Amino acid sequence: MELFFLSLLLIFSGGALALILQRFFNPMKASSSLFIAVGCLLGLIHAGTWMARAGEAAATVYSIEYLNAFTLAFRIDGLSAFFLIAIHLVSMLAAVYSFHYMDHAEKPLATAVNYFFFSLLVGSMALVVAADNMITFMLAWEIMSLSSFFLVIHNPDAAENRRAAYLYFVFSHVGAMFIFAAFGVMYAYSGVFDFGSVGAMPDAAKILALVFAFIGFGSKAGVFPFHVWLPHAHPAAPSHISAVMSGVMIKTGIYGILRMYGLIGFHGPVFGEIVLAAGIVSGILGVVYALGQHDLKRLLAYSSVENIGIILIGIGIGMIGVAADRPMMAMLGFAGGLLHVLNHAIFKSLLFLGAGGVLQKTGIRTMDALGGLLKNMKVTGTTFLVGSLAVSGLPPLNGFVGEFFIYIGGFSGATPGGRPFISCMAAIVGLAIIGGLALACFTKVMGVVFQGEPRSEAAKDVGEAGAAMRLPMIVLAGACLVIGLFPTGFVLMAVEGVSALGLGYDTGELGTFIQITGNITRGGAVFFIVFLTILAMRKVLYRDKTVSRGGTWGCGFTRPTPRMQYTASSYSGSILEFFRPVAPLHETHPPIRGRFPDRTHYHSHVDDIAEKGMTPGVVRPVLFLFDKLRWIQHGDIHLYIGYILLAIVALLFFV
Amino acid sequence: MIKPILFWLLAMLTAPFFSAVILKVKAFFGGKKGPPILINYYTLFKLFQKGSVYSHSTTFIFKMGPMISLGAAVTALLFLPIAGQPPMFSWHGDVILVLYLLGLGRFFTIAAAMDTASPFEGMGAAREAYFPIICEATLFLTLILFFMLSGELRLSAYFFGGEPLHLWRAAGAPLFFVVIALFIVLLTENTRVPVDDPATHLELTMIHEVMVLDHSGPDLGMIELGSYIKLFFYSTIVTRLIWPYDMGNAFVDGALFAAAMLAVYGVVGITESVMARYRMDKVPKFVLTSFALVFFATIITLEFMK
Repeated sequence: MELFFLSLLLIFSGGALALILQRFFNPMKASSSLFIAVGCLLGLIHAGTWMARAGEAAATVYSIEYLNAFTLAFRIDGLSAFFLIAIHLVSMLAAVYSFHYMDHAEKPLATAVNYFFFSLLVGSMALVVAADNMITFMLAWEIMSLSSFFLVIHNPDAAENRRAAYLYFVFSHVGAMFIFAAFGVMYAYSGVFDFGSVGAMPDAAKILALVFAFIGFGSKAGVFPFHVWLPHAHPAAPSHISAVMSGVMIKTGIYGILRMYGLIGFHGPVFGEIVLAAGIVSGILGVVYALGQHDLKRLLAYSSVENIGIILIGIGIGMIGVAADRPMMAMLGFAGGLLHVLNHAIFKSLLFLGAGGVLQKTGIRTMDALGGLLKNMKVTGTTFLVGSLAVSGLPPLNGFVGEFFIYIGGFSGATPGGRPFISCMAAIVGLAIIGGLALACFTKVMGVVFQGEPRSEAAKDVGEAGAAMRLPMIVLAGACLVIGLFPTGFVLMAVEGVSALGLGYDTGELGTFIQITGNITRGGAVFFIVFLTILAMRKVLYRDKTVSRGGTWGCGFTRPTPRMQYTASSYSGSILEFFRPVAPLHETHPPIRGRFPDRTHYHSHVDDIAEKGMTPGVVRPVLFLFDKLRWIQHGDIHLYIGYILLAIVALLFFV
Repeated sequence: MIKPILFWLLAMLTAPFFSAVILKVKAFFGGKKGPPILINYYTLFKLFQKGSVYSHSTTFIFKMGPMISLGAAVTALLFLPIAGQPPMFSWHGDVILVLYLLGLGRFFTIAAAMDTASPFEGMGAAREAYFPIICEATLFLTLILFFMLSGELRLSAYFFGGEPLHLWRAAGAPLFFVVIALFIVLLTENTRVPVDDPATHLELTMIHEVMVLDHSGPDLGMIELGSYIKLFFYSTIVTRLIWPYDMGNAFVDGALFAAAMLAVYGVVGITESVMARYRMDKVPKFVLTSFALVFFATIITLEFMK
């Protein structure tokens, strides 16, 4: 535990240093990112060693009592340690990356403030997953929400950034309100703030608390339809912040859902089915909206919604497995979902870091103005390719491993009979569709952004990203491959995380898990052997052959231009057509008339039905209601004090 | 261990031959003599002897594409029981790995096409990304059905020896729907008529052929070989369902399997001869039919099993 607090101290002092040293731009960046990175490294070592000797020692507990007013309690068990690993790994690499990424020397104060809130965000995320009572948890949770709010509004000059930050602020606080409500229901029965002593509750109260918690944590995690803030906030924030927010911060929502599930211990099928349904909807709609985006970072944000969906499908299968009393199915689902938490943290932060490199070098986020970047940005492009393969869930990369476990879990529930069968069938088919759509989405990104020819001047002759930016991308891409090929250790970590849920299953069935991961390794090895053989054959076939270069075959057309290339909009057009009811596609295109037509243009955008429905469905009714209650707010302070007295008297009588 | 390797090699060697059968059938329906039955071998030899021309626009991904799509198809065959013989590898969940490996091959085929900056290849790539999504849904639903019937999640549990017969015994008539659905998937995944016309003259209307426009020499040879092997993979699945018997003798089984394969390839040829390619926006409906059929089969089987 000392190591944990030492790492926090280093992280926070990194943020404080940035404020002190803001006059010296480069030393400030260097010292601040170094402190945060080293702090994260210590945290990683702490969580890693905890995992390594898990099973021997029980959970680590530590508490501080402040003036008898409240107690700050911390507890690290398998679930916390698993999330700590993801948080510290991604934050460490993001801190390294920021050194070359934050290059606006003319804005030293904004950069220093960014480092300060970055350190607060990293530290508070670690505190959230380590908290052991409601007060500590909410304290850390609010610090996390507020610090990330200030990070989103990093560049307040642009109106859309302010709007994005405001939207995020509203969502995170409405979410926090639901979490308070869930804690309130729990407190009403237990009477203490400790997580450890959530007492016996009637089933109805359990479901109520869980559903409140699911809405609250879901709005942080970006579950459809509470994801509306995500695609606005991520493009507004600097890219390494997007990487941390999308890679790990939204996962604290998943942590919250899992933790509450473990604490409340409601094992009926209803909640599992809710989670599964939300997962399938988030997964499919997330990737469909991702396909419809033109902005690279918005696309990645929607892809996070999709991956949260996949994680929830895994967790949902786990919960249904618990309800149906099928330990193997439950373990596979939970472990698959948790593993996907780590995997998504790795590949999504890799993709955001890559997008940051593109943004820094070209200044463009619109995909249709990019192209051909792989030739000049070899490291960024190649690591982005690895990330794209991983996010599409393809072997032999890490995205496949988590999905594979979820599939196996789903299949083990697909024996004929009743509700589990229908749920599992929906989950498996949903996962298959998500996989196919993700492949379409990320071949689009790779093809349009990194391949082909540059579509604008700004995308021509760009340089490679700085060394401090390349290193994290290489490390993350390596991690994708390592987990994809040798998943055993990581799966065992996920299993350790699941055992912290207190489901009462012994981990004696570990053999099955090791067998599955062994098969994944063998499958990867077989594919690599085949691939290397083909590579060798290709070398032989091309020995002493003339290989020349020429233009792309233009089917007889003599004056090709890069503008003729297939664009992101045209690539995804027909798929979006298929999903038209849930993803309305709007196109404006003045027709071409006459012998000498005027210049014309084409514009398309896809509506997010949750965002569209928010105004008439939620905002207007709420405004209407509060408009009617406006007479309470008359500005007369005497009457306000009267309200307070009245409320206290009423409470004295009724409670 | 020898037998699986032998059949695996045999499958890869004969895959070009079977594909030529389609050409012969089409020639017969067209009242023509058609190319020699070994045409595909000649083409492969010709391509392997040539050098290559690469576009200025391409990167290393363009060269990776053919290798990975061929590698994925070859690896997929390692898990499939050919002619009812045991496969080289078999484990719980291998079928998911195989389907995702084919997805990996598709990713790189698309990426290689996007690498050329050609608008036609982009168009083909977009279609290649679209239609298989529905196929994947169909295939996974089929897997659920097969898992219900056999309780196993491996290719050898469905197609090894007399296992397909067990599937028929457990499911009965609904399995006919599955056969039709898998045939539709075969046509779509291998871009045959009525989804795609490999022999059309206009690049705008192609899917697979337009994606490989810029490949040449041994690279193109590898793509061709990969597509023969992929077609062999899907045909084997359909064949084993319509010819589920096991004679107990590897030689006899192999011969009968080859005959059944010829029939399946023949039907592909007949389909190509009597049908025109669908308009592109009709294709998803055609592919969705396969999903509906398997869904129907699953529901009926669920009732049967009660």
